[in-house]
Amino acid sequence: MLDIVLFAVPAGLVILGALIVIFAKNPVHNAMGLVLTLASLAIIYITLNATFVAMVQMLVYAGAVMTLFLFVIMMIGVDKPEQTREEIKGQTFLVSGTLLILGGIVSYVVIKSGLKWDLWFPAVDYTLEGTPDLIAGSLFTEWILPFEIISILLIVATAAAIALAYDTKPRKKL
Amino acid sequence: MEILLLAIVLLPLLTALGIKLVDKFINETLINFLTINSALLSFTIASGMFVLLTMEKFEPIHFTFFTWLTSPEILFEFTLDGLSGIMMVLVTGLSVVIQIFSTSYMSQDEHYSKYFIYFNVFVFSMLLLVMSGNFLVMFFGWELVGLSSYLLISFWSKKQSAAKAGNKAFILNRIGDFGFLVGLMLVLSIFGTFNYEKVFDEVLAGNEQSLDLIVICFIVGAFGKSAQFPLFSWLPDAMEGPTPASALIHAATMVTAGVFMLVRISPILQFSEIGKIIVITTGLLTALIAAFSAINQDDIKKVLAYSTISQLGFMFIAIGSGAYVAAIFHLVTHAFFKALLFLGAGAVIHEMHHEQNIHKMGNLKTRMPVTAAMMGIGTLAISGIPPLAGFWSKDEILASTFANGGIYYGFWALSLLAAFMTAFYMGRHWLLIFHKETQNDVTQVSEAPKTMLRPLILLGLFSIFIGFINTPFFHGVEKVLHETLHSVDITHLPEGISLIILAVISIGAGFTGLLLAYLIYIVDILSYFKVKVPLKKELKLLSANTLYLNKLGDLIFVRGLKLASRKTAVVVDGLMIDGLVNKTSSIFYNSSKRVSKSQTGLVRSYVVYFGLFMLLLIGLFIATPWMLN
Amino acid sequence: MIEVSTDWYLTLAAILFSIGFIGMMIRKNALIMFMCIELMLNSVNLTFITASRHFGTIEGQISVFFVLVVAAAEVVVGLAIIVSIFKKQSSASVDLLRASRG
Repeated sequence: MLDIVLFAVPAGLVILGALIVIFAKNPVHNAMGLVLTLASLAIIYITLNATFVAMVQMLVYAGAVMTLFLFVIMMIGVDKPEQTREEIKGQTFLVSGTLLILGGIVSYVVIKSGLKWDLWFPAVDYTLEGTPDLIAGSLFTEWILPFEIISILLIVATAAAIALAYDTKPRKKL
Repeated sequence: MEILLLAIVLLPLLTALGIKLVDKFINETLINFLTINSALLSFTIASGMFVLLTMEKFEPIHFTFFTWLTSPEILFEFTLDGLSGIMMVLVTGLSVVIQIFSTSYMSQDEHYSKYFIYFNVFVFSMLLLVMSGNFLVMFFGWELVGLSSYLLISFWSKKQSAAKAGNKAFILNRIGDFGFLVGLMLVLSIFGTFNYEKVFDEVLAGNEQSLDLIVICFIVGAFGKSAQFPLFSWLPDAMEGPTPASALIHAATMVTAGVFMLVRISPILQFSEIGKIIVITTGLLTALIAAFSAINQDDIKKVLAYSTISQLGFMFIAIGSGAYVAAIFHLVTHAFFKALLFLGAGAVIHEMHHEQNIHKMGNLKTRMPVTAAMMGIGTLAISGIPPLAGFWSKDEILASTFANGGIYYGFWALSLLAAFMTAFYMGRHWLLIFHKETQNDVTQVSEAPKTMLRPLILLGLFSIFIGFINTPFFHGVEKVLHETLHSVDITHLPEGISLIILAVISIGAGFTGLLLAYLIYIVDILSYFKVKVPLKKELKLLSANTLYLNKLGDLIFVRGLKLASRKTAVVVDGLMIDGLVNKTSSIFYNSSKRVSKSQTGLVRSYVVYFGLFMLLLIGLFIATPWMLN
Repeated sequence: MIEVSTDWYLTLAAILFSIGFIGMMIRKNALIMFMCIELMLNSVNLTFITASRHFGTIEGQISVFFVLVVAAAEVVVGLAIIVSIFKKQSSASVDLLRASRG
């Protein structure tokens, strides 16, 4: 019983947040919805025994990334209300078509497999704790190369961001 | 001895080259000296060879110049037998006479040397044609004769009408040459050789079915060269050339090449019924049309041109009836009196200062007595009045036609009509020029110079006496041609009383024609008796315009061809082919334009496409059952 | 007793992904499209963690780690680009970016 509740509540919050993200008018509301989704996802990670990842998620995503988002929203998106009328020709038709196909596939899968996904491999019966030392033990030995590469990636991303947003107009001499 | 054959053929060519080389340095007298001497030399050698041939009982003499190909065997060879002997002597003899006349007629002309160069080239080509030993050499001569004729017709090339006439002659000739060429190819493919004797031996050995086709092809060639219907309209236009050239080419030699060729292939022709029918009907048609057209011509030379066409028709009638000897005999006599008539007309034109309309002449017999007398002899000869030459040959043709019986009685009757018309228009011709009292101013006209008169007198004498070489009492020509035509089925004259009756009828036709001409044009009997000839004006126009055949030909071929080619250029080339190419490129262009519209540059449409196809892929994946359980 | 099995988590991830995708198709504002991308990335993260628990290995969580880092870097660069576009056209609508048209 507790398992189900512990799953259902965060799951519902996740979906709620996602819906807020795509349907809200005010960009700040969108951002808040995203924060809600991210936080709920962290809770779900904890129930899945991935504690370290949950922490990192809260720190990085819901902390740094969302802050960035909010800054940029402040700079850009709050003034004009967005038009809801679709301007691109045929877009509505295509979108509804895609949704129909999506619904069709999903319902087909669901009905065929009887509300239960056909997982080809059986689950293991032991639980794996996602502790930092377990992660670090694999990360710094087996996966050291991708680790280094993403650090380079981060540096490059920073440099790129500065280069893109740099204001080349000469500043007034004070 | 045989090499003299080559000498006869090459002598005129060398003369022409010689005149061309020394052209800048010599004047008229020297050219005269050169050309007439070479012509005399040719004639002497030719007569000598002919006498030699007679002594050998007309056994053919061969001479091979060189071997061109060994397999199939094609040689460059000459043959001298009775047929080619007659033609050879005729050509060289007339060449001498006419060149003497030309020295006086063409004097003071600025292109004097050019004339004699072309003249000698023509004589060379004609000799090549008649003395050929196989079909190929004859074809060379055939083509060269056409070329020389073109050169001589458009001699005064600055004149637009002369140039056009030359073109017309050459083009219509070419149509005939096409037939000849196809015939040549057929001969080679069927018999494997061009040599006359070999071909004839094979034909006589076994009857082949495809002979009809060969014969018809050669007949088409003969039609082109000998101005038969429908390829005859070039000959009246060819009168643009100098008169002595017309005398040689369009009276005596080139136009008779067709007749000569058909007699040469008579061993093949005799087996083709369809060929003979075509020949005789066309000959008859031509004779009648030409005679009808000659009645109302105004130009002195055009009357003679139509007369030539008509007489050639007679020769073709003879060939069609199987009377090959009569055809050659008429060829010879016609050569003499037609050359005489042309040269006489040349003298008249020269003295009238190049006035050629006969209605502007009249009563010239008092001023040019000798010319009038000689032209009179020519007119009587052509009308078939005995004992002049034309009577014997024409009568032989008519009698031979009659002798065939059946439908040929009808042919005979129509030929008689043509003979009557011949007498009629020739009588009109002579009477209007020489006899009729007229208001025209002819006081300036005097007799022609002696150099012109001497050839006329010579030809006049020949016209009187040459008929005696082949009378029913002495078959001279037949004896000459006997060896050549020994394998051919010749139609002979009817015997006894029927021959005499036929002769009387044809003499009567001739006299009646002349008399009628005298009555109508001199005594003017029609208005005297107030006889109204129905549709007189229309008939006159019809005759003067050659039954509008010229206009018809122009309409169909010239305008029709131009129209067709314009249509093709615009529709087929412009619309269809260009359209096809342009359409292809425009299809690609338009379709690519339409496809490029899907590149909207919008992120959201790309997202949609992405999702759509990803879903399709997933659906595909689900729909195909995975092979593991 | 119904157990919360792997199926449920996977279903949740699928729903989250679909919502993110639909949002991408619908919204015009560049920032919001970006947030939808984040949703999709997060659904993938969830799938990875689920798989890690299902198979009993730690590889899944390490993958999540990497995805997280890359997503952060991507957000940085993406936002910088959006800022510079905004400076040029003074509206955050994606539909105005048609330079690669045709």
